[in-house]
Amino acid sequence: MSQTMSSAKRREGLFSNENRRKITWVLFLLPALLIYLTFMAVPLFDSLRLSLYQGEGYTPTTFVGFQNYIDLFTNQLWRGKFFGAVRHTFIFFAIHMVVQNSLGLLFANLLSSDFKGRNFFRTIIFTPATLSVLVTGFLWTLILNPNWGAVNKILVAMDLRQWALPWLGRENLALPIISLVSSWQWVGMPTVMFLAGLMGISDELLEAARIDGASEWDIFWRIKFPLLKPIIGIVSILTFVDNFNAFDVIYAMAGARGEPSYSTDLLATLFYRTGIAGEHPVGIPNMGMGAAIATVTFLILMAGVLFWLYLSRRQLAEEA
Amino acid sequence: MKNKLFVMLSVLILASLLLSACGTPATEAPAVATEAPAAATEAPAATEAPTAEEITLTLGSWRVDDVAAWEVITAAFHEEYPNITVKFDPTNPPDYNATLRTQLETGTGPDLYFVRSFATGRELFDAGYVASLKDLPGITDTFSDGSRAPWSTEDGESYAVPIIAVSHGIYYNKDIFAANGIEIPTTWEELMTASQTLLDAGIIPFANGTKDAWDINEVVMMQFIPSNIGGYEGRMAYLNGERCFNSEEMVASFQQIADMQPFLPTGFEATSYYDSAQLFAQGQAAMMLDGSWSIGPFEKDATDFEWGVFYPPALEGKDQYVTFHVDAAIGANAASPNLEAAMTFLEWLESPTFAELLGNNLPGFFPLTKDVPTLSDPIAADFMAFNDAAKGVDIRFVWEKLLAAPSGNVDAYTSLNNNVIAVLKGEKTPQEAADAFNSDLAAWYEPAAGCAP
Repeated sequence: MSQTMSSAKRREGLFSNENRRKITWVLFLLPALLIYLTFMAVPLFDSLRLSLYQGEGYTPTTFVGFQNYIDLFTNQLWRGKFFGAVRHTFIFFAIHMVVQNSLGLLFANLLSSDFKGRNFFRTIIFTPATLSVLVTGFLWTLILNPNWGAVNKILVAMDLRQWALPWLGRENLALPIISLVSSWQWVGMPTVMFLAGLMGISDELLEAARIDGASEWDIFWRIKFPLLKPIIGIVSILTFVDNFNAFDVIYAMAGARGEPSYSTDLLATLFYRTGIAGEHPVGIPNMGMGAAIATVTFLILMAGVLFWLYLSRRQLAEEA
Repeated sequence: MKNKLFVMLSVLILASLLLSACGTPATEAPAVATEAPAAATEAPAATEAPTAEEITLTLGSWRVDDVAAWEVITAAFHEEYPNITVKFDPTNPPDYNATLRTQLETGTGPDLYFVRSFATGRELFDAGYVASLKDLPGITDTFSDGSRAPWSTEDGESYAVPIIAVSHGIYYNKDIFAANGIEIPTTWEELMTASQTLLDAGIIPFANGTKDAWDINEVVMMQFIPSNIGGYEGRMAYLNGERCFNSEEMVASFQQIADMQPFLPTGFEATSYYDSAQLFAQGQAAMMLDGSWSIGPFEKDATDFEWGVFYPPALEGKDQYVTFHVDAAIGANAASPNLEAAMTFLEWLESPTFAELLGNNLPGFFPLTKDVPTLSDPIAADFMAFNDAAKGVDIRFVWEKLLAAPSGNVDAYTSLNNNVIAVLKGEKTPQEAADAFNSDLAAWYEPAAGCAP
């Protein structure tokens, strides 16, 4: 920055130094902005436009106004599929919030204290997050397989045959099970973020509390937890965004149709089936409707993020 | 300030993640298309030969497993027509329709490609992507009207050369049958008694499951339907609206599904098509309802025991009809610069040479020519024998006219699939399932409008 400023000072031209300074920052932004506009913003608006069209193939040409949205919310079949997907996505998100993030907080708390083998456990907890979802999804499908999966083999060996269920084949079980698998895979992420947050808390605060006779439980709830709040907010919003876009783990473990009987169908799988792949065996996508689903999903996400923004703003105002 | 930045970033990221997905097909197209220019550039290099111009044609397909066999077939063609080389270039089956459509729309489609039967292929023809074959010599003589129908207009104008049919049956473990004193059943009732014997002996009678959904529909339910409804004529009665989709014949088919339920593996709800094949190949299950396309995989995997095929017997008092499904045809890209060479290849597909190469290099995929060549694979020959023994053969029930429903309606394939699974899970009785199937179809299939409940 100082280099540009000094070189700017040396030159005498059309612009005064003051004006030059105002313009330079635009130049710095330009490359990123161009990339963003070409690959993100344009497709985004093109997709919004596409949701107003109907037609075969990848270039729907008939302008239909908001008909896709009207169909999505009034046609019994579309409405059923769409609200089913919304409900499943919320369940999927809720399980991640409760299981993945609570465990993350617990692990971070344990890992922030000094003990032998700490690095070993840190590595273990983070390892699944480095693997491909398709790989872990496939492995878990094998582990949960009713015929030769390890889970049911163990249950039968323990004489708990009635508990050896077809885990991924029951409507009421498949979604929670897949959510747990996904939570298992990604638990390392919140752990790392919380760990970083805990490392940032000054030892003096904790020492002072200990001298005052506070128990570990008190220290956690009265000192660590309040100081972690901003990170909890970030972790929550990232979980929200990730899970409302979740696709791969369902695709790997339940297929694009959200088997069994659409009970694991998330917004992203519904979108994929509708707008990209089409339904087996015809496989002709309905791009307009797909774009409409994507747009509504975007609005839900936007609402969630704005709500979080409102909360964090209010909190800042309170603190000030 | 930090927070604000973060929010802005996350909004941008999520927006782009979500919505840019819609834009990808267009941007991916050039990558998919790289094959075509490569093929085109080879031609000029070869023009030095004074006699004939060397032409390379690409052949698009969804049969990724069959690359080796198609290399043999295209090599035989090249021998007859040395100036034309055909390059088999398949796409992953679930992506095939979408990929092909993108290629055709962006003008980068293969010169020749596999065309799906009925609605899916017809749509490509109506959009002008498949060349008409009304001037292709011999097409009406080589194939029966029935074989050509899935790829021709109402006036009988063909747009693709039918090449492959698949059959269906029950693969059975001969060793297990012999050990339990079971003969090949000749009626449905006998099959059920045999299954009970196997179950009592601690053997899984049928390997089939429902995790992947399609297999229980295509290779189980649609094998039962023809014998119950009376083959082609029976199917026409439904398509013309003379019979409703909850007729007693349909209820009987759902009843067969319900009959089978106790004989499926424990946890059949979570047993995938691949799992089923493994259960059979490892000798854990005595039978598996499957398609003829599995001959190859089973000949490779199920080597520890003797196995064979028989056709699911009809209910007592019913005639046997076989599901012999027309599966694939090859058409020419109307926009191909080498259309003439492509037509030469299509004409060659009518020859007995091709029929024999196909039938013997791809056991389980049957040529559709009127004159069927002798098949060297014994199991493939057994499958062909079903056709001669049966009263008639027909395609899968829902393929003609019922596959594509208008937006917001349930097509027959999906409805049948969901209802079959509901019966297996005990959520619907056969009658309820047939009623649900009927009302799904009556909602949009006009000839069935009178059947609405």
